[in-house]
Parts: sequence; C-alpha cells; structure tokens
Amino acid sequence: MKISFELNGELKYLEVDPGERLAALLRRLGMKSIKEGCGTGDCGACTVLVDGRAVRSCLMVAPQVQGRRVMTVEGLGTLDDPHPLQRAFLDSGAVQCGFCTPGMILVAHELLTRNSSPTPDQVREAISGNLCRCTGYVKIVDAVLLAARWKREGKWR
Amino acid sequence: MHGGRVRRFHFARDVEEALSLLAAYGSRGAVLAGGVDLLRSPRGDVEGLVDITRIGLSSVRETGGGVAIGATTTLSGVLESQAGHDYAGGILPEVLRAVASLPLRNMATLGGAVVSAHPWADIPTALVALGAEVRWQGEREGRSLVEELYRTPFRGLFRSAVVTEVRFPPWNGAFAYEKVGRTRYDIALLNACCGVGVEDGRIAWARVAVGARPTRGERLPWAEEALVGRVPGEPLWNEVRRLVEERIEVGEDRRASGEWRRTVAGVLVARAVARAARKASA
Ligand SMILES: Cc1cc2nc3c(=O)[nH]c(=O)nc-3n(C[C@H](O)[C@H](O)[C@H](O)COP(=O)(O)OP(=O)(O)OC[C@H]3O[C@@H](n4cnc5c(N)ncnc54)[C@H](O)[C@@H]3O)c2cc1C
Ligand code: FES
Ligand code: FES
Repeated sequence: MKISFELNGELKYLEVDPGERLAALLRRLGMKSIKEGCGTGDCGACTVLVDGRAVRSCLMVAPQVQGRRVMTVEGLGTLDDPHPLQRAFLDSGAVQCGFCTPGMILVAHELLTRNSSPTPDQVREAISGNLCRCTGYVKIVDAVLLAARWKREGKWR
Repeated sequence: MHGGRVRRFHFARDVEEALSLLAAYGSRGAVLAGGVDLLRSPRGDVEGLVDITRIGLSSVRETGGGVAIGATTTLSGVLESQAGHDYAGGILPEVLRAVASLPLRNMATLGGAVVSAHPWADIPTALVALGAEVRWQGEREGRSLVEELYRTPFRGLFRSAVVTEVRFPPWNGAFAYEKVGRTRYDIALLNACCGVGVEDGRIAWARVAVGARPTRGERLPWAEEALVGRVPGEPLWNEVRRLVEERIEVGEDRRASGEWRRTVAGVLVARAVARAARKASA
C-alpha cells in the first residue's frame, strides 16, 4: 500500500508492506540512528517522535504514520551543526557506545518541549523507559538538565 | 521486525465501517488502537488490521462528577486532560503514571488496556476499584461494569465489537493507588487501588481492589465491609493490614512468592486506604 508522511521535514510518498514495522521502514530509508534493541517496546533504542511525541517505532506498523510528522535524530542536527541537545550530551560525557543515545535525546526533546525547567526527578522519570548499559544514567540526566538550561537561556533553535 | 502475516491495513472511517471490516475478516481481522499490545505479541492469524484511532473516539469529558473517556484516548491524553486529572482525588494520574513509560503512554489507549487486561496490569485493578463501566458497539450496543465483564470470556466479544467509551462514576470521596515493581518502569509484582468516603468522622463507603496476585485485579468485599462505619486512623489501618494478610488469596509465579505477596498485599492496602482517607478528609 502507498502511504505519505513527513520525515524530518521532507514529504515521503512510498510503497510499504502493511505489516512492516515503522522501525524497519525508517532504517530502510537510511535513518540508522534507529536501533532495534529488543523489538518489544522495553528498551527505547527505536524511539522516534511522531507529531512531536516520543513513541516506540518497533511497536508500530508503517501505515500508522500516514499523514503524520516523523522525526528522528537525523532531523535534529548534523555532525557539523549539532542541536544544543546533542551538544549537551557530548559536553556532559553522556555518550559511550551510543546505542541508546538517539532514543534518550528524543525522549528528552519531548520533555523539554513541554517543560524547560524539569527537576532531576522529572528527567529520571522521562528517561525511565530507555535503557543504557554503559553510562549509569547520571551523565544523561546531567546532559538533559544542561540542555534545559540552554533552552531557558534562549540557545535552542 | 515484521508484523506477522498482515496483508491489509485499513483506517476505519467510523465504528460501522470498523465493524463491517471485522465481520468481513472473521477471525483473521483485528482492531488496532495504540498497537502496543498487538504488535508486541502479534497474533499469527491476523491478516487485516483495522485502525480505529481516527474515528473520533479520543476525548475526555466530565459527566456530573464522573468522567467519560473515549476508547482511543491515549494514556497521555487522559493524563493531560483536566477532567481526567480532577476525578476522584486525582486517582487517574496516579494510576497512569505507574504504567510503563512516557513513549508507551503516548501510544497505548484506554480501550486497548481494557481489552488486553493483563493480570499484572495497573489499569484493570483501578477500573474494578472505581466501578468503571465499558460501552461497546457490536451487532448490538452493549455496556457492562468492567468488574462483571472480566468474569466473562470478554476477549472473544471484542473480536467483533469495538469498545467506544469507558465511564467512571462520581464518588464522594477519594482513591489512592499503590504499586510495587522492581524498578520505576517494571510491571507490578502487586498493586492495590483503594477508595473511601468519610462522613461525620467515619468511613461511609470503601472500595478495595488488589491485582497482580498474580491474577487480575479483583475487589476484596470483606475488607471493604471491615472499613465501613469505622473511624479512620492508624489502629484501623493496622487492623486492615492484618485482615488482608490473613484472608487474601494470592499465588506465586516466577516474579514473586505467594508468601511475599500475602505480606505485601496487607501493607499496600493499608497504605492506599490511609492515603485515600487523608485525601477524602482534606
Ligand atoms: C513494554 C510494555 C510495557 C507495559 N507496561 C505496562 C504497565 O506498567 N502497566 C500496565 O497497566 N500496562 C502495561 N502495558 C500494557 C499496556 O497498557 C497495554 O498493552 C495497552 O494499554 C494496550 O493499548 P493499545 O491501544 O496499544 O492496544 P492495542 O495493542 O492496539 O490492542 C490490544 C488488544 O485490544 C484490542 N483492542 C484495542 N482497542 C480496542 C477497542 N477499542 N475495541 C475492541 N478491541 C480493542 C486489539 O484488537 C488487541 O487485541 C505494557 C505494555 C508494553 C508493550
Ligand atoms: S527496540 Fe523498540 S523499545 Fe526496544
Ligand atoms: S551509551 Fe551505551 S547503551 Fe547508553
């Protein structure tokens, strides 16, 4: 079947298999930031934003995004020009192997879009469904709080 | 990363179209709401998915002290609504914040939670405690208290009927929810939803439900009776804790022993009732 949706600001109109997972479709379209950690909704490595809300792309079939806006980390910033949220992860040492990082950043993006002054506990709550096997989470929480400060200071785009 | 043998995907335009698509597929069709459950544990026999999220069933309305929630309202949608927030001493945010994590709450719907009704889940325990009523459209319109629905083979019913709304009645009092899991994100090892009304310094009514025992949440009528007419306070909470420990039926599974569940059930009920009473008296 044919579906159309917006991917990182670009309109897509393409043929999908009705049972194809959104995670698989997005990787097929080159969005390699999306990882399949578990495929059962438990790890958060496949998180994307649909209409600005974080969702698990491993638990969606492609047709569900018909007419929606999908954003992956590729749409947030580039290597040369990272988004402040990405810069905050780098500056805080919140990235080790990087497998969980795109999901963490997108969950943080939804949190900070709605609340620029989260408490550390609100940050922990927001990322509680995203697993990281490397960092121990402390630096990820620091990164989100740093990005929040930059947002309050008007440094976000 | 594949959705089994799914061959067709339909966006139903209204409930009638969803029903006729389900009828055409017979046992090979399925309603898709958030998809969280359906895609986590795909049914190998499903060929046609009928998406019902775009047919106007996402709303939260206040109904004279109660609240009516459309079946495809996401858990985040309920959490963000004023009516959902204010109901019965803020019980819905307490329960829904205990469900999974933000991205899953952005996807999962209340109707999907009613139908999937996992024994370890938080929502069924609350629905039973709160006296929620589920409404559906099938060959005929139907409605039932969730508590009664769960005593029937309800999953078969929803192969050819669509849940349209869940209604929560008004309560002159407050509810509280307690859950024990291994982490903030874990499913419950045990959960309890309790409510009381306080009049003239005494408990006027009580509702006590305990779930993940490991069976699905059910009320404990004998615990409710033990509370009614009594003066709220520490001695009563201790009495209820001991009573629940003595009488509750629990089982064991790979997640927790029966002995552990028995002891913790008493503590959770006592805590939830005490908190509900404090909220009701405030
Ligand atoms: C990783 C994970 C963690 C979870 N953690 C928790 C937790 O901590 N606590 C908790 O309580 N629950 C938890 N759940 C369960 C979750 O709340 C439910 O799976 C979810 O609410 C289902 O809603 P849905 O809209 O995604 O349903 P779907 O997956 O779309 O549907 C589930 C079932 O219900 C049927 N259905 C859906 N809507 C309707 C309708 N309106 N009418 C008729 N049939 C319908 C579908 O055909 C399907 O059989 C978890 C689930 C996952 C995957
Ligand atoms: S791959 Fe989707 S949550 Fe783990
Ligand atoms: S940095 Fe390796 S899993 Fe998080």
